[in-house]
Amino acid sequence: MAKKKEVLSKEQRIKLFTNLVRADKFGKMMYSRMMQGKLIGFYHPAEGAIAPGVAAGSFLTNDDILFPHHRGHGITHMLSKGIDIEPYIAEHAGKSTGCCEGRAAWHYAYPENNVFGTTAYIGHNFVPCTGFGWAAKRNNRGQVVMNCFGDGAMGTGRSHEGLLLSSNWQLPIVHFCENNGFAIFAEVEEMHPTEHLSTIAEGLNIPTTIVEDGQDVFAIAEAVIPAIERARTGGGPTFVEAKCLRFKEHDIGNRDLRGWKPREKEEYEAMLKRDPVLVATERARAESLLTDVEIEKIHEDAELEVARAVKFADDSPVESPTEEELMATLYAPRDGVFV
Amino acid sequence: MRELAYVNAIREAIQQEMRRDEKVFVVGQDVRGGVYPHTLDLIDEFGEERIVDTPISESAMHGTAFGSALQGYRPIVDFMFASTAMTVFTETAVMTGQQYFLHGSKRPVPLVMTGAWGIGKRTANDHAMPIHGYYSRAPGLRVVIPSTPYDAKGIFTAAIRDNNPVMIPWCTGIMMLKGDVPEESYELPLDKASIKRVGSDVTVLANSEQLQFALKVADKLSDEISMEVIDPISFSPIDMETILTSLEKTNRIVIVDEDWESGGFAATVSARIVEQAFDLLDAPIQRVCFPNMPIPGGYMEDYLRPNPEKIENAVRYVCA
Repeated sequence: MAKKKEVLSKEQRIKLFTNLVRADKFGKMMYSRMMQGKLIGFYHPAEGAIAPGVAAGSFLTNDDILFPHHRGHGITHMLSKGIDIEPYIAEHAGKSTGCCEGRAAWHYAYPENNVFGTTAYIGHNFVPCTGFGWAAKRNNRGQVVMNCFGDGAMGTGRSHEGLLLSSNWQLPIVHFCENNGFAIFAEVEEMHPTEHLSTIAEGLNIPTTIVEDGQDVFAIAEAVIPAIERARTGGGPTFVEAKCLRFKEHDIGNRDLRGWKPREKEEYEAMLKRDPVLVATERARAESLLTDVEIEKIHEDAELEVARAVKFADDSPVESPTEEELMATLYAPRDGVFV
Repeated sequence: MRELAYVNAIREAIQQEMRRDEKVFVVGQDVRGGVYPHTLDLIDEFGEERIVDTPISESAMHGTAFGSALQGYRPIVDFMFASTAMTVFTETAVMTGQQYFLHGSKRPVPLVMTGAWGIGKRTANDHAMPIHGYYSRAPGLRVVIPSTPYDAKGIFTAAIRDNNPVMIPWCTGIMMLKGDVPEESYELPLDKASIKRVGSDVTVLANSEQLQFALKVADKLSDEISMEVIDPISFSPIDMETILTSLEKTNRIVIVDEDWESGGFAATVSARIVEQAFDLLDAPIQRVCFPNMPIPGGYMEDYLRPNPEKIENAVRYVCA
């Protein structure tokens, strides 16, 4: 029997593994900095659910357009897309070196890298992504739009409208649903009548792929890559749904409930066995992707990268322009130079 | 000079800008068919790629414009009726208004939003509702209303070329108003009021159909009271300089706006005058606005909304 052709090359798998480790370290650093009072705004940890963002971001070009999921405030997605995360850490600390000059805090954008997000308005991602898709199609240079959101967003009218137009116009969009089963406390089973959220996209003639094990970064990538390829080659939108696990509360300081009752101790114990880094490491070893020495090196490099970002943020001054200086930047000038 | 109706002046601005810049396009509902004449037959010249119809999906329809503007296009999103934009207020006002500034003033959002409003056509609240009051409180947006055919062409042209989101609610009451409009392209400032009639006794601010009413009253009273009539044009930001300069001369002011009395343009201008130019006033500021009730659609619109009689009464009151 012929051997099944691998979707992922060794190089791609190593990239995924590396980005996963980086995302994990950045996420844990953000959690601990929030607890230390060194971040401003809220922080919505991605811990447990970082594999989807890594798979979504790792195979995008700089010209591709990304709207990250808000969880972990998109660090996972962005670092996988290859952008410099240091200005984001600084932004989240209100520093002048922040990617939005300290004004966004955590609802940032990196327009120079075609990254736009996030927002408090769940489902809003479908709004600009419709236009990104429209522009990408008209630009006709193979751009892909990666539209990331959670199960909660699928309750909004915006999601229906965005899916509808992407299907009508066959826009090059990957609708990427990171279904962690919760919208704050509310369980997806309770809030949606169908087993899969992708059913909604199917009803609009959008091809769908369900990844049952969204803790396995390689499994998600195997679904994402063909979706990116379809979009890039004029095949229109795809809806990818990755079922993943949220290890922490919705946002730091909040309770962690299922409905209105605390999640069971057994649930956490079972969940932690499905830690995405653990799952990927087991596979990397079992499939001889990386040696223990190489794995250790990836962890060390990631820790150094995180330490550099923290130092960069800590060393940067707080951004505090005057009201007049800010007012002068409210409107974009006609002859302005923009990124 | 050649005469054009107001709505056709808008059409000519859109057409000329679409010819000049291929990044300009229109997205809306039934813009191909042209429910209002400002997009009528543009489909024949520009095709479906640039005259784009959507389903009744205002969020994604606006999103088509908003997202593509962030990618360097210059969309015009047509809500048909202005109040329809309110169905996606978060998208049109909050997200669109804050995008450029909150993200470090790095990537502009060059987009025009438009739709028709106007009380007096017996269409009731949903179709008649003025929205400039609501939108003028959304920082980062420009909110402008041109009130003559000449201004309509110049303002739409400038708005399409501007690098900011511009909301232009236009008034059905002056849709067929005719006036001189040059054939060539031209721009008017988006942030400047326009003095429509020079006078010395009282300053009257009025826009849209109310501007026509104010000018009629000025004619009628010309032997008794010299009215200076100013069209504010820009509702965000407000051109206070032109208003205060006029007030220095007249020391009296009447602010006419079909918007509700509470919290809108008239309220903001009144507050600023009291703060910045209290000593200039020889009489209390008078506002002529719509009473704070939903707009009833029957024959009540005529006497509830501002009209020439109410404007005249207010002018006589401050000049008494």
